[in-house]
Amino acid sequence: MQHKLFQFHAVTAMWHSFWSESFLAIFIATFILVVPASAAMRFQERSLYMENNEPGDTTSYTVAFRYMSPVVVGSVDLLFCVDPIPYRDCVTPPGLNVANATLSQQTGETGYSILSKSTNHIVMTRAPSMIQSSGSSYKFDNIVNPTDTTQSFSIRLRSHITTNATGPQTDFGSVKGQVASGIQIATQVPPMLIFCVAEEVSDNCTLTNENNYKDMGELSERSTLLAQSQMAVGTNASGGFAITANGTPMSAGMNVIDSPTSPTESVQGTNQFGLNLVANDAPVVGSDPEGEWANAIPSPDYSLPNRYKYVSGDVVAYSPNVSLMKKFTVSYIVNSSKNLKAGVYSTTITYIASGRF
Amino acid sequence: MKRLISIFMAAFAVLTVTASVVPAQTASAQSSAALSIVPKKTYQIESGKTVNDKLTIRNIDSDIPLELNLRVIDFTFTDDGGTPKLLLDPDAQQTKWSLKQYLTVPKTVKVEPGKSKTIDMSVKIPSNRGAGSLYSAIVYSTGASDGGNVGLSASGVTLVFANIPGQVNQDLKIEKFGAYNLANGSNAAAYTSLTTTQPQNIAYTLKNNGNVTESPTGTITLKGTFSKEQTIANINPNESLALIDQTRTFVTCIKLKSQNVDFNGTKTESKQCTDPGLWPGYYKATLNLVYGQNGNATKESTSIAGFWYLPWWFVITVLVLFAIVAIGITLLVRKFRGKNHTTKRKKLLRRK
Repeated sequence: MQHKLFQFHAVTAMWHSFWSESFLAIFIATFILVVPASAAMRFQERSLYMENNEPGDTTSYTVAFRYMSPVVVGSVDLLFCVDPIPYRDCVTPPGLNVANATLSQQTGETGYSILSKSTNHIVMTRAPSMIQSSGSSYKFDNIVNPTDTTQSFSIRLRSHITTNATGPQTDFGSVKGQVASGIQIATQVPPMLIFCVAEEVSDNCTLTNENNYKDMGELSERSTLLAQSQMAVGTNASGGFAITANGTPMSAGMNVIDSPTSPTESVQGTNQFGLNLVANDAPVVGSDPEGEWANAIPSPDYSLPNRYKYVSGDVVAYSPNVSLMKKFTVSYIVNSSKNLKAGVYSTTITYIASGRF
Repeated sequence: MKRLISIFMAAFAVLTVTASVVPAQTASAQSSAALSIVPKKTYQIESGKTVNDKLTIRNIDSDIPLELNLRVIDFTFTDDGGTPKLLLDPDAQQTKWSLKQYLTVPKTVKVEPGKSKTIDMSVKIPSNRGAGSLYSAIVYSTGASDGGNVGLSASGVTLVFANIPGQVNQDLKIEKFGAYNLANGSNAAAYTSLTTTQPQNIAYTLKNNGNVTESPTGTITLKGTFSKEQTIANINPNESLALIDQTRTFVTCIKLKSQNVDFNGTKTESKQCTDPGLWPGYYKATLNLVYGQNGNATKESTSIAGFWYLPWWFVITVLVLFAIVAIGITLLVRKFRGKNHTTKRKKLLRRK
């Protein structure tokens, strides 16, 4: 049996790689030689100019683009959707209305009139003719702007040989627009950032112990001086917030207690001023952030228990998006060497809360 | 003389020791350090025009008044995220996108406990200013404390953006795209091509070489080996910006969950990532990015990335299955060889 198998293997040896090579060749040829089924091209230099981009206002839109295919064009289809991708379902931008639009100006490829229009759809038609001019623009009056300032919208463009925007498309592409309100409307709830700092603060910032300083005691090479402060923060802004700590390290005149520039353990007998925003047990100081909202967190370098750091301007806590009120406890440690010059060492740390962009 | 010197030295020593021992002077609290401000303002202002607006500041503290000093500073970016780097030094060099000289706010404001105050602000763009984006920040500072070793001070910041319409230079370049792990503890945020935990985020990094801030939109499609295609319809749900010259990483959730939350008595929509329910395997992600300012060309960019999601349970299951198959094949081969060996032995015995 084995002998027969060997014989068969020897006879068919030359065919072993034949099939794999053939398939590979056909595969490559398919990719190189097969002409794409669709010859549609993207319009180039597409743009949208909204004369007034206040939400809900009636204004004029100028849509401009360059035809790419040198063929006959009889109609252009303009579909207003939230999503620019042509094959996706079209969701009408809230508030938008193009049902009363009029075509007031046209340059480049001209001769168009509006064949049909609805809330989010305009079809321009003309007698089919060859593309002569590549750059073209069309101005539509009486368009009611969308009302949602939180998302952009798109106009999906398609050109067709037919006069009613049916049949295969020739060129396609999208333009993007967005409404924006220059002045906040009084009835809307504006984004707000709430922030407080003190030795002790309540979760919602309405109460503090009204103390904005801390005496840490007497410096000694054999002990670590400790202090705590608290800050609470929250925002309904979609970009979230960031809190930076700013100020010089502890100093007395020209003498400065240096701060570790990377998270470092507290070491007695060395000059160290550092802080973090979590509970520590060596030494025992601080507590973890309080509040159920999980996306507001201390920065990685300031969230390591028993490790302290201070670099002026560092972000010590942040949230990447909306965050309900969260309370952070800041722990401060000061160590001193026996060579530290005598003096009253002090600093003021300014916590700056800002929105994010 | 020697006695006089020793008296002076003793006095100096006593003073020095006293200075280090006696706690610093205490002072009464001067101002509230609890405030509510608007974090961001955005304007569209044509060259030669002025926008007058209001800023509302609230004193959250119910007991003491809030006394604030206001000043306008420039800012830039800290890293590839959305945290502003505030240029607090009064001598800091003005940025090329500075709005400082066009922005007017009062120098001080006092707000009674638990009350709000509305102040006027204006942005006046000169007629010779070209199209593009300008931005600066308004800093509201509470007074510094007077006592203690560690004094505390709180400040709030409003970021102010002004876009001047016209023909601008728009240029966003996709630098990275793929699955993304957020910062966790001491682990920094990073792109990943192989992950054992289910990725919740996809990110893309864009370099803004233009003269205008950009807020891209578009979609990401995700197709897995064993799962159907899913689409991330809004790739910039927080309307984040890439500042001028910034390389900005935009992080988006594979599956987004929106919920209304109550923030300080107002309804606010919060968007959070939720379990995307991915199956193990290889995933191909396609980014379709669209950006463009009003009246300027709408630009598109695309990028394709892939990543493996191989959870430990899946890896162990595959290894166990592989081991079972390997053992099965080995046993079959041994059985076959054993039979063959027995047959050969029988043949040999017959010949003998």
